Amino acid sequence: MTTSQPRPLATDSRPVSRDAAQLRTNDLERALAEKTTLLHEVDHRVKNNLQLISSLLLLQARRADDPTVKRALRSAQSRVNAVAIAHRRLFQGADPGLFDVSDCVRDMVGDAIGTSGRGDINVRLDLERADLPASQAAPLALLLGELLGNVIRHAFGVGEPGQLSVSTTTEDHFVRIEIADNGVGLSATESIAGFGGTIVKLMCRQLHAECETVDANPGVRSVIRLPL
Amino acid sequence: MTIHTPMSVLIVEDEVLLATELGFLVQEAGCRDVGHAMSSGEALALTGALHPDLVLVDVHLSDGPTGIDVTRRIVNDCHAVALFMTANVLRLPADFAGACGVIGKPYSEHVVRAALRYLEIALRTGMAPGLPPVGLQLAPAWAVRWGLAEMPLSA
Repeated sequence: MTTSQPRPLATDSRPVSRDAAQLRTNDLERALAEKTTLLHEVDHRVKNNLQLISSLLLLQARRADDPTVKRALRSAQSRVNAVAIAHRRLFQGADPGLFDVSDCVRDMVGDAIGTSGRGDINVRLDLERADLPASQAAPLALLLGELLGNVIRHAFGVGEPGQLSVSTTTEDHFVRIEIADNGVGLSATESIAGFGGTIVKLMCRQLHAECETVDANPGVRSVIRLPL
Repeated sequence: MTIHTPMSVLIVEDEVLLATELGFLVQEAGCRDVGHAMSSGEALALTGALHPDLVLVDVHLSDGPTGIDVTRRIVNDCHAVALFMTANVLRLPADFAGACGVIGKPYSEHVVRAALRYLEIALRTGMAPGLPPVGLQLAPAWAVRWGLAEMPLSA
């Protein structure tokens, strides 16, 4: 696709004629329309490619006989899925440069619970809208995915119902995200170990965020504070 | 418990890997994966031959951005129910070309399973079993038809 160059404005001090100004406005509007089309095309390709990568990993996981290999492929797919969830709502709102943290949290919680098949975990959401730069959507989704996955895997025994409460609030210069459960607590389970823990640390560093996980008696409470 | 005939689903998608994985998801959701089409011509031929309960349609097919036009023909000429699955949700016409709704790409396994369960009940009973699940957006005309006129069309 070629982008037409806007006509240069006269640089001397003579007033620009109305016709010349109109022509230049037309050029700029055409250039903007081309850029917008290009942006939508790229957005469309990113979303399709994320879908393709996710499908590839799922197909390969279905074929794997070794349970360790299957688990590794599924966990890679779930992280790609977190990035995909973050991307799904991008460019859908009024300002393509921003995303709403509460939408991201709602989507991630819904997907984590839905995928786990744990219908016996009662979810309570208390979400306040907060807009952050779109570039932070994917790292935040990855961070949330690890914390939520940890609750779902460790907080409640099989067949033991529980409650997961997630809230987002805005404070002076921060968005505060709290993920709390009423399960077995930190002492009875492990804190996020292995690669999941590494992802939490790295994403916090990238987002300039603080993340603290504490025993809440009962259960565990994780609090993320993200600069606004 | 009444046993219902599984809902038959035709997949219209030019990315073959994506269609293959979607076929597995359709089966896991308790539906029958009856066929895959890559172009608008194949989509019309298979819809006419197989009479699926639901046709999942991407906007971009192997013969170009023909998904919207082919959906109109699937709905008007073949009298089938169509659902868009596309990354271009904002480009869909206001009337959804007669389709019952859209799932935005990239979708997750959970979104597809939840949407298929929801649509199976809505198509069988003629009533929506509550608000649509996250990830599924209903076309305004279908929301009215399924008794959701006064409510938001997506969660």
